[in-house]
Amino acid sequence: MLDLNFLLVAIFLPVFPLSIAFNALLAKVKHPLLRMFLFLGWPLVGVFLYQTIEPQVPQWLVPMAIFTAVFYAFRLLAMREVGVWTGFLATSVWACFWLPLLYGDRDVLLYGFWFGIPLAILALLVGGLEKRYGAAYTNLYGGLAQTVPRFSGVFVVTVLAVVATPIFPAFLGMLNIVVASKPLVVIALVGLWALWSWAGMRLIQGMIVGEPSDDRVDDMSMPLTWGFGAVMLILIVAGFAMTGDL
Amino acid sequence: MNSLIVLVPALPIISAILTHLLAAGLGRRVARVSVGLTLLTFLAAVSLLVLALMGEPKQVVSLGGQWGVILFDPLSSLMAVVISGISFIVHLYSVRYMAEEGGYARFFVMLDFMTASLLLMVAAGDLVTLLIAWHMVGVMLYFLLGHDTQSHSAYRYGLWTFITYRIGDIPLVLAAVVLFHTYGTWSLPEIFERLAADPGAETFFGFSVAEVVGSLVALAAFARSAQILLHTWLPYTMEGPTPVSALMHAGIVNSGGFLINRFAPLYIHTGDVLHWVFIVGLVTAVIGSVLMLSQNDVKKSLGYSTMGQMGFMIMECGVGAFSLAIFHLIAHGLFKGTMFLSAGGIIGEARKDDGVPKDDLYTFVVEREAPKVQQPLLVMVGITLVIPVLVLVLTHWWVAPDLYQRQGAIILLFFGWITGAQLLFSTYHMKAANPWRLLGLILVSFVVVVVGYTLISHAFDLFLYNDPEFASQLYKAAGIDIVWFDALVVLTTIIVVLGWVRAYRVEKLGSHIDQRPTHWWMNFYSLISREFYIIDFYSGLNRRLEAASARLNVWFRWG
Repeated sequence: MLDLNFLLVAIFLPVFPLSIAFNALLAKVKHPLLRMFLFLGWPLVGVFLYQTIEPQVPQWLVPMAIFTAVFYAFRLLAMREVGVWTGFLATSVWACFWLPLLYGDRDVLLYGFWFGIPLAILALLVGGLEKRYGAAYTNLYGGLAQTVPRFSGVFVVTVLAVVATPIFPAFLGMLNIVVASKPLVVIALVGLWALWSWAGMRLIQGMIVGEPSDDRVDDMSMPLTWGFGAVMLILIVAGFAMTGDL
Repeated sequence: MNSLIVLVPALPIISAILTHLLAAGLGRRVARVSVGLTLLTFLAAVSLLVLALMGEPKQVVSLGGQWGVILFDPLSSLMAVVISGISFIVHLYSVRYMAEEGGYARFFVMLDFMTASLLLMVAAGDLVTLLIAWHMVGVMLYFLLGHDTQSHSAYRYGLWTFITYRIGDIPLVLAAVVLFHTYGTWSLPEIFERLAADPGAETFFGFSVAEVVGSLVALAAFARSAQILLHTWLPYTMEGPTPVSALMHAGIVNSGGFLINRFAPLYIHTGDVLHWVFIVGLVTAVIGSVLMLSQNDVKKSLGYSTMGQMGFMIMECGVGAFSLAIFHLIAHGLFKGTMFLSAGGIIGEARKDDGVPKDDLYTFVVEREAPKVQQPLLVMVGITLVIPVLVLVLTHWWVAPDLYQRQGAIILLFFGWITGAQLLFSTYHMKAANPWRLLGLILVSFVVVVVGYTLISHAFDLFLYNDPEFASQLYKAAGIDIVWFDALVVLTTIIVVLGWVRAYRVEKLGSHIDQRPTHWWMNFYSLISREFYIIDFYSGLNRRLEAASARLNVWFRWG
């Protein structure tokens, strides 16, 4: 018999099929700011609940968490709707959080921020795309690097951050999770990591590459670009400062 | 001293930031900032190399916690000079070459970040820094190859490169995890010290740490250096700007050879790993050379030429000649970089006048005209077989009399003998007014090349692996049972001699032999013309994976 407390936590630190709850909610929530808070808060609630109510976890949790992470990462490869893409990636990342939690790693909340901040920025950027073009799909309008170069720059950096590319702290967080895991899990995790990178590059390619479109759209304002840049810079510096003793 | 060690990888980062910030104000003149700071990086790297040559001991500089350690040793100082030197030339070349391209400042920013990543990679004193730099090189290369954001094909092939690099990252991450679990530290010098103290340490499932990590590091090196089955990205990534191609073929693709050298203290404790490294290098060298010769596209031919050279480099590691691999990668880097950077100018000039002198070499190579009077074949064969052996043996005996006790050295001598013999024998077919003079000139060139190569590689050996015991341990780790070794040498000699006998027979009988292509030969030709179907296989696999992903998305919708 499954512990109900575990099922509650498994909604926030998604394990398939409970992961559907978050993605269903994301499909309903359209406002970028609300989505931003969802990406920041959802895993933190999960970690908080786990550490507070200490549920009995089933034996199959680790393989199921890895299955969930790989399942959603694999689906990213063909996902063209950027909002759903962000939700799938978040589900895949958060499923991995079970591993450090089970190994007693107290830094999981920190990992929530390392991944959550760029995910939240990506949610805002999706809002920006929907405002400009009416929809956020890859390979639909393309050529963003030509049409909105500042927006594209921020978009590329954010996607790199979210798929745990160095020098962003998500890279160090992921490395921590990998190091703390058991041998066979490590192999699955590094494969998963490569899947994220593959999907991330496909997303970037589908958005920024191509001839400029004829639509007249405004680029991101200079102060906003600097604002996003500053957030990323703080994230990088904080990551270095807080993971020096990895 | 410590500041100088940190300055080398830091200067390109400063250059990238300044170039980005000043681009709006300075316009295209901002390239001068990038070029100037790259020159400074090169000078700083040269200073470090001079210090290393003067015998400055190995040092580590920590930037903070357990990672972020910069290492100063002969290998890092030598590689830093090579990288910053090539990067400086590429920067200088790009100032005019990229002048009419969009994203001018962005290009220099990316070039600076790439230089910084490469410098950090060679100077990494801990596994985390090495992983960061190793990973960053792939990311930077992807964006440099896709500099033209309007070109879908540039990004398509850039993605191929990126994915291969990420596949290559996987074994390196695994190697880092195994080492950290075994020794509890990220520091490379500490790991090598503990490994030397307890070389028999075992990891999970009872495997030897040295064997497991050695295999994983070799796999990472294979992906980065385009070894067979992981090579497809190299001949196809020609869509990027020429300076990027030059940097890629001259510097980035050589990373595999560097990585194996960095882990040299681990490889002396391995058993079979270097044998596999040798076999993979050998197969890559042969396949790369065959595919190079069968291409009708010059750029792809260059790509496969690099693949073949990388095969030789890895093969050198496989026979234990680690320092020779470093010399090879530097020599190849300079040579291939020059080819790429001068290709445009030469093509432009050749359109007006090919400038090829109609001399003996031209009639032989281009017109394929046979000489009217040939020297006696057996005399030529005798000269061909004996002279290279004499030159090679005397030269190697001069630098290291005990060299013949190393199997790796014997293999390289054997290889040198065969290539030298082929070179000399080619004069037999050449139409020359004075064949003996031509033979003499080729012989002088051969002696200069062999003596130069031997002396320089010996100097590299002394500089990089100063401890003779360590160097001989590397050869020992690469060695095999003496009976098997002798048997293989005899077998190879028989194959080569049979090849020469066949060549002799064809020469003597000439038109009496049926030279129509056989069925077997046509099958082989179709196989190489399709590049062994490796690319088709990967493309098919990619399509299937994407289709499977799409099918899952249809079934599960947003859930």
